[in-house]
Amino acid sequence: MEKSDVLTFAGRQFRSRLIVGTGKYPDYLSMQRAHDASGAEIVTVAVRRVNLDRTQESLLDHIDTKRYTLLPNTAGCYTAEEAIKTAILAREVGLSDLVKLEVIGDQRTLFPDNEELLKATRVLVKEGFVVLPYTNDDPVMAKKLEDAGAAAVMPLGAPIGSGLGIRNPYNIKIILETARVPVIVDAGVGTASDAAIAMELGCDGVLMNTGIAGAKDPVAMAEAMRHAVLAGRLAYLAGRIPKKLYATASSPLEGVID
Amino acid sequence: MELIVNGKRLEVTEGATLTVLLNELNINPLRVAVQLNLEIVKRERYENTVLKPGDRLEIITFMAGGAE
Repeated sequence: MEKSDVLTFAGRQFRSRLIVGTGKYPDYLSMQRAHDASGAEIVTVAVRRVNLDRTQESLLDHIDTKRYTLLPNTAGCYTAEEAIKTAILAREVGLSDLVKLEVIGDQRTLFPDNEELLKATRVLVKEGFVVLPYTNDDPVMAKKLEDAGAAAVMPLGAPIGSGLGIRNPYNIKIILETARVPVIVDAGVGTASDAAIAMELGCDGVLMNTGIAGAKDPVAMAEAMRHAVLAGRLAYLAGRIPKKLYATASSPLEGVID
Repeated sequence: MELIVNGKRLEVTEGATLTVLLNELNINPLRVAVQLNLEIVKRERYENTVLKPGDRLEIITFMAGGAE
């Protein structure tokens, strides 16, 4: 792989194309070990009230902020207003000016409310945020988000936590054809092959949380995902053979033993 | 005096500043954002922000999690 094959957005470069989350881990130790095994450089975090019960350990005690870039998300927001407020508070913490913008439209599917998402993207871009919006696989929406100044577009592969993989690779391929910002699949990855498929399509990265944190062995799965993203990316860059209906023999026809 | 912090009533020393409050709560100011009565307070101002009875505070930080 060329040394220059890095994930770039908003003037930053990352060698790892795998972004991981912090939620749903059995404990902080397995989270740390999984992060390490994943090779990820970017980690998403939720923005919430401090727990006033100071006997509880805090997440930031378990993430080395020199090693990982924090990507605060607006999880739990259902309107542009809520997401904007959350992003502004997140930036105020002073540890990141990135925001993974989630504006949820439906509690069961956790699909994005694209109308509110676009509103929030416009406002936050104007406020100087690096906005990474979680959206669906609609190329028209992806274009609008890009035009609004999003630093990347993040189409879902399948509903958050569903593990159904890349349900609409065709739409994602279409998004890839016209996007001028990185396309990062976010949500739905269930196992290694899902991540590899996303990368083979040509995606610039994959973001996942449940796929790793919810696995029986999160640390092993994190390592699997690291390989999957690498393998998928290499395969994409290597240029696959075309799909054919009939066989094409690999061996010459002359000199066959009689 | 009584304040409302993160939705909970809290008894705090009269005339306490934000810095004093965070100290009392054992909260690292470098890891939080603070909203006082719906307005964000910049960190440089914590020392000079004197709290009044009935003030509503939201002290925010990063926690584990994503869409849930």
